[in-house]
Amino acid sequence: MQTLQDPSSESLFGTDQFFSDFAGDHSWEPGWLADHRSEAWEKFIKHKNSGFKDENWRFSPKHLFNLDNTLRLSSSKDLVQLSALKSNKALFQNLDKMILDSPDILSNITEHVGPNLGAIQTYHLTTALADNGFYLSTPKGAEISEPFIVEHRTPEHERITFERNIIHLAPFSSAMVIEFINSDDTTSQGSVSSTLNITLEEGAKLVRVLVQNANTSSTLHQFENFSLGKNSSLRNVTIHTGSSQCRSETKGDMTDKGAFFENFSLFLGSGNQLFDQRTRQVHSASDCTSNLLSKNALNDQSKSIFSGLIKVEEVASNTNAYQTNRNLLLCSEAEADSLPGLEILANEVKCSHGATTSKIEEQELFYLLSRGIPQRSAEKLISLGFLEEVIEKVNNQDLIEKIRAMIETKFYS
Amino acid sequence: MIQSTEFDIDTEKGNFRFDTDYAFDAGVGLNADVVRYISNVKEEKEWILDFRLKALETFLKKPLPTHWATEDLKNINFDVIRYYLAKGQKPSRSWDDVPDDVKNTFERLGIPEQERKFLAGVEAQFDSEAAYSNMKEGLEKEGVIFVSPTEGLRDHPEIFKKWFGKVIPTSDNKFSALNSAVFSGGSFIYIPPGVKLKQPLQAYFRINAENFGQFERTLIIADEGSEVTYMEGCTAPKFETSTLHSAVVELVALKGSKVQYITVQNWSNNVYNLVTKRAMAEEEAEVRWIDCNIGSRLTMKYPGVILRGRKARGEVLSIALSNSGQHQDTGAKMVHAADETTSNIIAKSISIGTGRSSYRGLVRMPKHLKNCKNNTECDALLINSESQTDTYPAITVQGEGNSVQHEATVSKVSADQIFYMQQRGLSEGEAMSLCVNGFVNDLIREFPMEYSVELKRLIDMEMEGSVG
Repeated sequence: MQTLQDPSSESLFGTDQFFSDFAGDHSWEPGWLADHRSEAWEKFIKHKNSGFKDENWRFSPKHLFNLDNTLRLSSSKDLVQLSALKSNKALFQNLDKMILDSPDILSNITEHVGPNLGAIQTYHLTTALADNGFYLSTPKGAEISEPFIVEHRTPEHERITFERNIIHLAPFSSAMVIEFINSDDTTSQGSVSSTLNITLEEGAKLVRVLVQNANTSSTLHQFENFSLGKNSSLRNVTIHTGSSQCRSETKGDMTDKGAFFENFSLFLGSGNQLFDQRTRQVHSASDCTSNLLSKNALNDQSKSIFSGLIKVEEVASNTNAYQTNRNLLLCSEAEADSLPGLEILANEVKCSHGATTSKIEEQELFYLLSRGIPQRSAEKLISLGFLEEVIEKVNNQDLIEKIRAMIETKFYS
Repeated sequence: MIQSTEFDIDTEKGNFRFDTDYAFDAGVGLNADVVRYISNVKEEKEWILDFRLKALETFLKKPLPTHWATEDLKNINFDVIRYYLAKGQKPSRSWDDVPDDVKNTFERLGIPEQERKFLAGVEAQFDSEAAYSNMKEGLEKEGVIFVSPTEGLRDHPEIFKKWFGKVIPTSDNKFSALNSAVFSGGSFIYIPPGVKLKQPLQAYFRINAENFGQFERTLIIADEGSEVTYMEGCTAPKFETSTLHSAVVELVALKGSKVQYITVQNWSNNVYNLVTKRAMAEEEAEVRWIDCNIGSRLTMKYPGVILRGRKARGEVLSIALSNSGQHQDTGAKMVHAADETTSNIIAKSISIGTGRSSYRGLVRMPKHLKNCKNNTECDALLINSESQTDTYPAITVQGEGNSVQHEATVSKVSADQIFYMQQRGLSEGEAMSLCVNGFVNDLIREFPMEYSVELKRLIDMEMEGSVG
């Protein structure tokens, strides 16, 4: 990584020369990891020019997510910071430290796959180049109430960082993870491309919250793939107010009976912000329940894309699956694209989806105006109420206050 | 409720076929010579031949849309299809002129003589040429033009040339290009300003030759303030090799007019039914597609309305029923292109056995528009555990005061309901039929009476043997 700091370096991003330089820098890593990286690199090369007319990219200005040849890897070492470990029950560590100190624990990450919802190329690139991120695992039966806090920062101007994040909960353990994505300044065009693999074993319970407030020059790629075991439950809440463009792919696979998957997200857009969200709820076993709510409030020329699919496999009888997308257009230039999808192969199912897009209800506005509240405040109040449905899913009062404050600040700016 | 047992249902419907002598046969496969042959037989003007040849080029250039559509499209062998067959006869004007063997076919199809007389005007298509066409004198008096595409483009170019291929351009998709290259048959209709037709115009389409695709072309122009309802119903003989049906239907609803287009599609289940249907609605015009798909192996059909004038309204009501071996890939497109336009889509699908129903929708409201509204409802019913259903809507909204709502549900017939009815003496099959008819009932009511009766019978027939 260090040698790439030289701007005169001829090894352009995405070339084979670049990767062999990178591999040279990482020669101290265990052999299996080197093999894993080069396999991923080969897949990246293979997919480089494929999938041009892909449904998974419908409505997306794909060029905004292209990784430019002029990009360079970030040289910062501390872009991922973890809260101090208060419980000695869990293993909570930075990925680079793990590779250095106890790489063997990581050896099963070679089996991890991505959500595979379109940006395959970037996913493989991330797998090949990641040397940042966090690792969390809990022992069997551990109930940890103190949240694990991870702070991600976007890198320097025109730099990119690749992260791999791993959460593994052993049977009947429970935990909460809170992640933040922030920036040091308001103008640096930094990029973060990260993967998150969550594995929940039987009866495990996880609440994961992401609060994304990166500066409005940054680009984010997020690949989240969740595997839910028997009777496990996962609540995933993501709050997006920042970044210039964010591509977020989330897949929750209910692999065994009785799994419960909730996925809630909100995006508050302004300026030219783009939030490109692709989700999949996969029911691969019977008696599972999934629920998704995606809410987007859009100002100025901001744009949101919601593309979600509920997939119910043939074996998944007694399925309950719900999906809701609500978009609030606060400005006539804003755009909301919605692609809610269902693929149902079993017949013992209760399944529905709904998508609505509209502006603020005249009646609601009139009610507030007639009580002397000025138009702008009234609009803000209604929008906050609209987003509140997602915010209140965060079961941590301090964090809820923090999120509300963040959203209000964004409205005033 | 309709008791299925009271009707004598011919389950071998569609099994009829008579040997027919073809005076014109373009042979098998598709190339520029075939297109020239068709154009020559029809004695078309130079510009139509050019139009066809250009379309052929487009067709050959365009790939199959398998990046989003089913791979089953790859099973179509374009080289073994006959693109043109016709009896060497002019469209008949009176019933007496119709050859006996053709009459015989209609007899077997069960269209009663009385009903025929009752119909406002019947454009019965036997293979690709109009074999029988009877137009009520009244229609002519009112200035209504109801002709085949060949006649329309030859005798009334001043009316039809302007809109021909304008609502659906040749290059819209691979199959609209194919149709543009080899079209024959179909109806060209013009309704003069202010004329309100009380009775629906009807067309029966028939396919009656092995491996013979039918490529009809329909263009309906409703002038200012006029009203028209057009119905098409399809049955086709059962053949052993796949048959291709690829139609193009264009509707033009000028200011303040109302157009309703009703389709009951019941091709035999070896037919690929790949149809492009689109309407253009001017100011305060209303277009309504009522679409019912029961037959075919694969249907891909997404009737659309381009709402081009202020306060225009578009509506699609769709019923799809897919039994084992069938894939009904249907839906609707609503493109809002003027202020205060409204659209409504209601789609219901039923999957039986290993059947698969898909809904694909498109709703678009660009940013310069104000106060547009769309409502979409898709409901799917799954009968057996191997049945499949998919929903793929695509919604884009910008602009001021626009609102869109989309809702979809998937369910199965509940065991409670079946049990309740069985307690009251109905067999399981009858109970299931009743539930399914109840599920689509509010949509079927929108159909004209004779169609809704026929539809309920068809649904009962399809349900036979699906339970137990």
